[in-house]
Amino acid sequence: MRPLALILLLSGVAAPSAALAYAEFQKHIQATSGRNVNCAVCHAHGDGPDGVKPGQVGSLTPAEVDRLNRARIAFEPGQTVDSPILNAFGNHIVFTVGKRQLLALKNDPGALAGRLQETDLDRDGISDGQELRDGTHPLDAQHGDPWKLMKVNTRRYGLHLVLLAVATFLGLYGLGHILRWFGRTAEAAMQGLRDRGRDEP
Amino acid sequence: MNARSHGRPARLVTTLVRFMADRFPMHKLNVEAMIQKKEVPLHKMSWAYYLGGLVLFFFGIQLITGLLLLFYYQPSVSDAHASVEYLTRYVPGGALIRNVHAWSSSAMILTLLVHLITTFAMKAFERPRELTWISGVLLLLITFGFGFTGYLLPWHQIAVSATKIGLGSIELLGQYLPGSLADIPTRVKEAIQGEASVGQATLSRFFAAHVVLLPLAAFAVLGLHLVSVQVHGMSQGVDVPSRRTERFFPFFVLKDASLWGVMFFVLVALALCVPFESFFSYPLFEPYDPLGSTPDGIKPEWYFYFVYYPLELLPFWLVNLLMGAAVGVLLLAPWIFKGTSRKTLRMLAAGAATYLVVITLFGDAIYEMLKGGH
Repeated sequence: MRPLALILLLSGVAAPSAALAYAEFQKHIQATSGRNVNCAVCHAHGDGPDGVKPGQVGSLTPAEVDRLNRARIAFEPGQTVDSPILNAFGNHIVFTVGKRQLLALKNDPGALAGRLQETDLDRDGISDGQELRDGTHPLDAQHGDPWKLMKVNTRRYGLHLVLLAVATFLGLYGLGHILRWFGRTAEAAMQGLRDRGRDEP
Repeated sequence: MNARSHGRPARLVTTLVRFMADRFPMHKLNVEAMIQKKEVPLHKMSWAYYLGGLVLFFFGIQLITGLLLLFYYQPSVSDAHASVEYLTRYVPGGALIRNVHAWSSSAMILTLLVHLITTFAMKAFERPRELTWISGVLLLLITFGFGFTGYLLPWHQIAVSATKIGLGSIELLGQYLPGSLADIPTRVKEAIQGEASVGQATLSRFFAAHVVLLPLAAFAVLGLHLVSVQVHGMSQGVDVPSRRTERFFPFFVLKDASLWGVMFFVLVALALCVPFESFFSYPLFEPYDPLGSTPDGIKPEWYFYFVYYPLELLPFWLVNLLMGAAVGVLLLAPWIFKGTSRKTLRMLAAGAATYLVVITLFGDAIYEMLKGGH
């Protein structure tokens, strides 16, 4: 019973006003990706769950505290949770690995990314696990490793790019003809004006 | 009463009129001079003749995309960030337009800097093109103004924090000024900021500057610049005048348009495939929270690194003195470098370019090396 009691204590069921952000994951991501990240990877507020701002424990209504407590006892994977202090990715982590494994992974934070390879919540073409490794936001399609995004988007918008290239080429081809025609016509018109000037007494 | 009877003032007016008549030979403002007979020299530096047009192209892109962004952007501290988020996430094509605006602003400043450096190296500021050069330098300063004011508008962490640092540095100038002059930088800062700290008044002022004041100033100076370029044609550019030329219309114009087309494709492809913000840490783009923690990595845009890193490494007064001197030298270049050979100018330009490239690409590494981290 002692491990379960410890988990309950850590997960905050006994004291809903105290919450824990798992700094181990944040430190690991920053160390391996080289990017600064904050608690907003998983939490509703960038400064973490402690405090009284929106998305922090001190601001929760009784109904939200209920949702928080239900999320805190989702020990096994596969339980859909809707914690008000977590964002969609945080809730997805709890659903995918469960609270028990998540706590265990604090000793091996790098392994969490491997459990999230199958999903891509922001649909930017980079899996959530990879975004975790890269230190980019898994819920922001505009945010990802630039080179990976370039590869993904070049494939995704390949047809658009080809059509754009064709349109640009055809536009320039047409413009070239128009400019040359205009040049010739204007030259002829100017020559006509000069000739008329010479003919006039 | 004739001009001679007025003595010195009359001579000054006469000199000014002659100066302006030389710089703006309005009899050349006709189709024959500007189109039919206009020739572009062909030599090893001819590629530089396309840079000014390219800056104009990017400026046009900024105007069009900026106007489109205006349909959704809300210039208030409570809604600015949300309106940008809404535009990016939910408006069809919104992310593309915003990314084109962001990429194009950087491309415009990069091209403008290369244009300035090559123009200097080619000694294109020589008489009678002094005003073309000065208007170009003013356009560079206006463009930096666009960058500085536009940076604040999304009202995210990096925007507000970087603006605070930028405005704070104006105030610091006061300590180097004597007597009552010491108050002037603080008053200037307050006038720009509009209130005790960066807030709604600042956002309103920056918005007005970004979408009204600076565009009006840019149009005025750009008009002067373009008229000046048109009446004088392309500068010689090299020591020995090239015998080979090509007609401006339609051949040069066609190549110019082709370059614009290629750049348009590159710009849209970049905006579509690589969101501009992906190069930065995401906490920098969270809504600004005056009571929250400031994320690491607050910096100005890359095109201000040439002054940002020296400010981090050297005494404040020294950097300001150097930058003030640099602006002065730029504005007075036609007179300071009147007798300087193009070879010397090319070396100076290469030195300036090397500094800009090194400080922009490796400024952070240099800072880490010298100061051991932020």
